[in-house]
This record gives sequence, C-alpha cells and structure tokens, in this order.
Amino acid sequence: MNYRSGSRLEKVLAGGKFALTVEVGPPRSADPEVMRQKAGLLKGYADGYNVTDNQTAVVRMSSLAGAKLLLEAGCEPVLQMTCRDRNRIALQSDLLGASALGIRNCLCLSGDHQKAGASGKLKGHPGAKNVYDVDSIQLVSILKGLRDQGRQEGGDTVDGPVPFFIGAAWTPLAPPEEFRVLRLAKKIAAGADFIQTQAVYDVRRFASQLKKAREMGLTERAAILAGVIVPRSAAMLKYMNKNVPGVEVPEELVKRMEKAGEPQAEGVKITLELLDALRGLPGLAGVHLQAIEAEQLLPEIIRAAGLYPRPEV
Amino acid sequence: MIVGEWKPIAEMLEKLRGVKKLLLVGCATCTAECAAGGEREVETLAPLLRMAAAREGGALEVITKTLERQCELEFVEELAKLTEGAEAILSLACGIGVQALAERFPELPVYPGVNTTSLSIREKPGLWTSRCAACGDCVLGETFGLCPVARCAKSLLNGPCGGTRRNGKCEVDENTDCIWTLIYERALKRGRLEDLLELRKPKNWSRSRHGGPGRIDREDLRV
Amino acid sequence: MSGGLKNSAPRLVVLYCANALESGADLAAAVKTAGGFTVRPVALPCSSKAELSHLLKLLAEGADAVQVIVCLEERCQFLVGSRRAEKRVERGRMLLKQIGMGEERLGFARGNGLKVEELMSLLERRAGLVRGLGKNPVSGEGEK
Repeated sequence: MNYRSGSRLEKVLAGGKFALTVEVGPPRSADPEVMRQKAGLLKGYADGYNVTDNQTAVVRMSSLAGAKLLLEAGCEPVLQMTCRDRNRIALQSDLLGASALGIRNCLCLSGDHQKAGASGKLKGHPGAKNVYDVDSIQLVSILKGLRDQGRQEGGDTVDGPVPFFIGAAWTPLAPPEEFRVLRLAKKIAAGADFIQTQAVYDVRRFASQLKKAREMGLTERAAILAGVIVPRSAAMLKYMNKNVPGVEVPEELVKRMEKAGEPQAEGVKITLELLDALRGLPGLAGVHLQAIEAEQLLPEIIRAAGLYPRPEV
Repeated sequence: MIVGEWKPIAEMLEKLRGVKKLLLVGCATCTAECAAGGEREVETLAPLLRMAAAREGGALEVITKTLERQCELEFVEELAKLTEGAEAILSLACGIGVQALAERFPELPVYPGVNTTSLSIREKPGLWTSRCAACGDCVLGETFGLCPVARCAKSLLNGPCGGTRRNGKCEVDENTDCIWTLIYERALKRGRLEDLLELRKPKNWSRSRHGGPGRIDREDLRV
Repeated sequence: MSGGLKNSAPRLVVLYCANALESGADLAAAVKTAGGFTVRPVALPCSSKAELSHLLKLLAEGADAVQVIVCLEERCQFLVGSRRAEKRVERGRMLLKQIGMGEERLGFARGNGLKVEELMSLLERRAGLVRGLGKNPVSGEGEK
C-alpha cells in the first residue's frame, strides 16, 4: 500500500476504520514533563494527537516541540500549524524540520487573530505584528508541493521525501453556510487528505452539511472527522455558543447541563450521545475529541464510547 | 484618502516639554477630510496645548498655519517665514507631511500630532473605514471590487476563515463585516460563484512595504 | 487640577442661541447684577455657530467657564444645529478632562423661552461648579 505519510492516522483511515484523534494543549511553560504526562494518560487511546499552535494567540510551548515530545512518548502527533505567526519561509522550514523529527500529520490553519484571542483572563499579545503571508488553503497547497513534487513554494527543490498526511479545518456552520461546503471542496482540491471540523453540538445541522459534502463526492476524496468538545458546564456551552463562531449549541443541551446535579457527568453523557449520533452519519470517517485543559477525562469517555482499543494497523 | 487620528494629547505634550514657541501646522487635504488635521482641528488643538502648558506652569505660544497639502514642497515653503523663533513644529498631517516638514526644516524638531492609520473611505459623517492596504498587487478584479487584503483581518485570499460571526461580522471586530461573506454574496448575485472556487496562489508581497521602502521612478516624466 | 486659591469670582462666557431665550429678554442688564461671578454674554443665531475651537479659545484666553445654551432639539430652527453644539461640547469636555483642565469648565443646557432669571441661576450653578477648580491657569495666578 502506497502511503503518503505512513502515519497511524492515515493507515486507520485507509483501512476503512472509524478514526479517533484527540487534542493535547501544550503548556504555558518550558516543562517537557507536562507533555509526557499527557502522553502517558492518552497513549493508545487515539490514532492521532493534535498539538495546538499558540491557540487563541497565547504563547505556549511550540506545537513542533510539543509534537516531538508526544512522538517520543509513543503518541503520534498531528502538528497544528497556523499562518498567523510564520511566513511561507518559516512554515516550509518548520515542516521540513517536523518531518525530520518524525512528525507525519499536519493540520493547516489560518489561526486565531491575535486581537480576537486570549480568552478571559489572559493578556495574549494583541500588539503583535501578524504575518498571514499565506492562508490555510495556500498552506495545504504548499505542503502538497513539498510532499508530492519536492518543490518549495518559490520554486526551489527539496531533496528527498517529505511525507505528510495533510489536514485542514472545516467550520460547516459558520456563515455563509452555503459557501462552507464549497470552501471545503477548495481545501480538498488543494490537497487536504483529512479534515477536522469545529465542534459539533447540533448533529442535525452538521449532518445536513455533511450530506452536501457527500453529494459533491468530497467524503470519498478526504476523510472528515467531526470535532467534539466535552462540555464541562452550562456556562461553557453558553460561552462557546455565543463567542466561538461556527459552534451552534441547541438549547436543550444547555438546559440539561443547567438542570444536572453533576454537570461534569452530564457533560460526559452528552459527549457519548454526540459520539454515538455522529458515528451513524454516512460519510463521516471519524471524530476529533477535545477536552480543553481536561485531557484526563478522555480515556474514560473513549472507553465508554466503545472506541477502545484502537484498531490494529 | 490617508486617514489618522490625534495622538493622545499627553503624548504630544511629552515631546513639547520646555518648548515656549510652537509652530502647529495643519493640512487641508487628507487629514482635514478625516477631521484630524485641518484648520478646524488645528484651531481646536492650539488652545488645548496652551492651557495644558499653563497648567504645568509654563507658557506656550502657538503659531498656527494650515497648508493646502503638507506633502507638496511648494506649500511647505510657505512656512519658512513663520519658523522664526519657533522651537518645534507639531504637524497634524499624515506621516508623509511630517517628513516633508522635517526635511525642509532639519534644524527644528518636527513632531507628529497624528497617528496615520490607513487608506480609507468616509462611509458616513464621522466614520472612516479602511479600504486599501497598498499591497502593490491589486486583486480587486478577482474579488468583485471588495478587497480582502485590507478588509479581512487575516488578508485571506481563498474565502472566509471559520471565524465569521452569526451576523456576518468578523470575529476580530464586531463592527467589521466579514469581507468574504460580502464577496461571496456579490459573486452569487453576479452568478459567478465558480470564480471563488479557483485556488488563489500565495501573494507576491514584494511590491508592498514588505519588499522594502517603496519607490516608483518614472524617468520619462523628468526632462 | 488646582490645589491653589479658590476662584472667588469666576469669569463666565455664555454663548446662547437667541431663540432659546424668552423674546425680549434683556440679558445685558441682568448680567450686571450677577453676584460672585462675571458674565460675558454672546448671542448666536444658532448654537451650531459656535465651533469647538471657539469654545476652547475662550478658555485659553482666560475665561473660567463657558456655558452653551441651545434650543430644545425639536425646536432648533436649523434642525440639527443644537445637536451639533451638543456633540461639540461633549468632545470639548472630554478633551478638557484629558488635559486636566476640568470638564466642568464647559457647560451645556437646553432651553425654550428661557427667562433671564432662569438663565442667571443656570450660570450661577456653572460658576459654583468651577469655583472649586481654582483660577484658570492661563491667567498665571493661583496654580502651582
């Protein structure tokens, strides 16, 4: 079998199995132990481990370093790479470096603008000069050029293979909704092998967008993994619904969390229901599960969802 | 036009500490248009500076003059007879005007009173919004007359990011439209949606400031 | 702001739209009777004739306070004139505050058929507000 990257994620998907990726947030520190601990908790529970890239424009340990630490600890990382902080030179250079370190999956993102970022109490760096030399779709294209043509964006060659499983993000429910499936098509045409979506809480609406993607043949050309974020409280759901574009939380879910005696347990319950409903959607290749700053919840959820152990490859 | 707004007065005063005679120069073109540096604003700022100086126990004499354009050396020359005894110049022009004054009067400190911010249009009285980023590689022909370089916070060229709010505004600023939503709507209206499916390659930024200080040299216009 | 002498006889300038006062009001006579403050009345055909720069210049030239009197919004004969005046005074107050002069030095009031006595008591209130700020520093006394 001719793999593009040979990553576990690629193999699981190529084998027609339902894939599972999880998110691991690097610390606001230089301590490698944090990543090792998280790896220890989650080893064997997913096919790919996304390492975020200065999410919400708050400085954290780089995703490249975080990814390498995970790899060393036995978890295959998905390197998240945004266009906000690096120009095409740095991006390509980091990609070559990541590949040299054994990193095989990359999720190409535009990146949260530094003025919109820094949720809540953190200050972030709103005065920073942003880069956005290229956009996420161009980055997908650039990565494909490195991998399949051995060529840099500017035309110079690179020697040898640059194996990568190329990912892109999809926010199917942000306006303009009708355009979102077309933009997905663009990302796949540019070279995206897999897609991870923004968090889904409204399965019905998501399913409708997924159906359109299926009708366009997109689910055959790329593997779409639905994003699921474990709710921890009603406040969290309300916050995301209000402030995170593309996240649509149905009123019933908020009410359930509000009424729940143990919101955390209810959140796990909701997560399991979402996972179950999403697994049933034709064309969906997997899920991307996130428990923000609460990765310790994931093993229990993954087991309860019947997604453990992960398939043999 | 080029727009900007007043620096905080405290910042202006910081530079003018100890100055007894100031030449305050306005510009009747761009910064007048955006109510930052025209004659009206000069005559509003002058008394404020005098009062602020008086509060600190000093006395500041402010000579005011508004030039037609500070970026025209011919008009700048009109100031020559006004600089006698002046210890500093405060310019309410854009950065171009400030530099023109500084070049003509190198012996005097020339300070900016305006922060130049963008190339904008006046949407309605009192509202100026950025339209052009002077990127040197205009894409307006491909985006139905709406500029994503200037008007998208991330200068995306291939459609909107996932940050478009429910009401079609940009995640970075609730007052700013997601320009890609507007581009999409216009493409739809024109029946040209397929234009937006074309992959736009990475931009050549070398003709903008990123390529180094700008320079346009038309030798044919010099005899 | 001042820590110096209290301003015992603030010098006020009142810019008033002639249409806001009762017809036949004789302001000139009334201002002479003011106790504890002095008034220089300036009549305007519309309050919008007063530019912000004019208001600030009056203060920079030594007035302790400037009071602007405008018509009721719906009665402005120039439709939005009184609104313009209001916006200018708002901006002026903000700028005065920024430089530490005290926003109280610029006042705004609407009136319709204002009697002279009403106007005078309005001015007395304004004088009271700025008395505590001390003399206008441009006059060179009282500050520091």
